[in-house]
Amino acid sequence: MKKMQLEICCGTTCYMLGANRLLNIENEMPSDLRGKTDVRALPCMGLCNEKELAGAPYVKLNGHVIENATAEKIYAKMRELLEA
Amino acid sequence: MYSQLFVEMESFQFTKTGQAACGDDIQIKVLKDENRYLAVLSDGLGSGVKAHVLANMTTTMALRYLQSNMDTLQSVETIMDSLPVCEVRKISYSTFSMIDLRLGGITRIVEMGNPPYIQLRGDREVPPLKHETIVSNHWPDRQVECYELKMEPGDRLIVCSDGVTQSGLGEGPQYRFGWRRSGEMAYAQEKIAANPEISSYALARSIAYQAYRISRNTCKDDISCMVIYMRKPRVMRLLTGPPFHKDHDNEFARRADLGEAHTIVCGGTTANILERVTGRKVEIDIAKLQLSDNLPPPGRLPEVAMVTEGILTLTRVYQALENNEPADKLPTAGRKIIEMMMQHDKIEFIVGTKVNEAHQDPSLPQDLELRRGIIRRISAALNQKFRKETEITFF
Ligand code: FES
Repeated sequence: MKKMQLEICCGTTCYMLGANRLLNIENEMPSDLRGKTDVRALPCMGLCNEKELAGAPYVKLNGHVIENATAEKIYAKMRELLEA
Repeated sequence: MYSQLFVEMESFQFTKTGQAACGDDIQIKVLKDENRYLAVLSDGLGSGVKAHVLANMTTTMALRYLQSNMDTLQSVETIMDSLPVCEVRKISYSTFSMIDLRLGGITRIVEMGNPPYIQLRGDREVPPLKHETIVSNHWPDRQVECYELKMEPGDRLIVCSDGVTQSGLGEGPQYRFGWRRSGEMAYAQEKIAANPEISSYALARSIAYQAYRISRNTCKDDISCMVIYMRKPRVMRLLTGPPFHKDHDNEFARRADLGEAHTIVCGGTTANILERVTGRKVEIDIAKLQLSDNLPPPGRLPEVAMVTEGILTLTRVYQALENNEPADKLPTAGRKIIEMMMQHDKIEFIVGTKVNEAHQDPSLPQDLELRRGIIRRISAALNQKFRKETEITFF
């Protein structure tokens, strides 16, 4: 199966608001999710200035933006996409 | 031609084995407006703290006289008259070499008792234009050697204390008179032939180490070597922050000198501009990431040296420069920026002044300074503490 693309923003705002804790996510994933993603870090994705969004840190999973991202939110989204 | 040149002045010293302080002293002063580079190397009589004080008094006075263009004989006599006299040997003093290098002009060297300087063009010795020995009325047994010479781009001057030329003294027939100036010069020529671009620091260090080795890894005297190298400056660029007006983006990006690999890009939006121009994407390696780093990891983009996050990284770099923190204690991005700064003579900052609104959000856990201010402070620190030339262009 094609791996999911997980992009973590490492720009100033996202990094300060928690992206730093997500950078190691690949090694921390629950066993059912491990090995199913390609994790990449990116410079500021430009989302931190979007007033309509809920807030940094931002990550993208297969192009879907996750706001106020946490590991749990990322896992939930991964499962949702896996089931679909 | 000369205004484009950089004068690299570096030295390396060993303290006489068993002494707490080095009895030699070196002082350097750059008078940028006059295109003058002044240096004094002094060897205080004896060794240890007392010798250090004598040497330091000498370099301080000599540097001041050089700066004020005082007559040579008068400067030398004033220095010798002011130093305390050794009761036993009835000599006051310290020996010294004074260098007044003028870019594009005549360089003057005055030596009192120190080993004669060496001027090398590539690995060839260059004789002085003029050499004169003068004798002071106050100190008839002391001779003052005065030289005039022309420094061309690529030339080096080597000045040392007698701890270098007399190293090895008595260590077998080869060193009956020590390493001597001729041995020192042959060694320097060999080093330059092997590495024509060798930095002043590397050459000074190498000569001092060789002197130390010849003396069977002890220092019977203080060892000091200074190298002055006149060459084209090594320039790096640091691009940070998007320009205030979007339509200046392309002009801003042109300043990255793409392909030259001497440019660091600090900041996400800045990186985005360059991604657009180069058609490539920044790649960040998180495999080697240290979680304790506390700075976002650096990234790669073809045609530039490195891409990093902006304001947190720059703030960290400033703190390290200001507090003289060793670069290798810093997270990767900060360490690499500082290492690159130290390897270059001139650092050009190209600074976009657009403010990122998100950085003003009061809910951020840490206050973020404006780019402009932090760059000004980095520039001042490089300038004052590390004698780097800097230039800031705002966009
Ligand atoms: S810092 Fe993450 S979107 Fe700007």
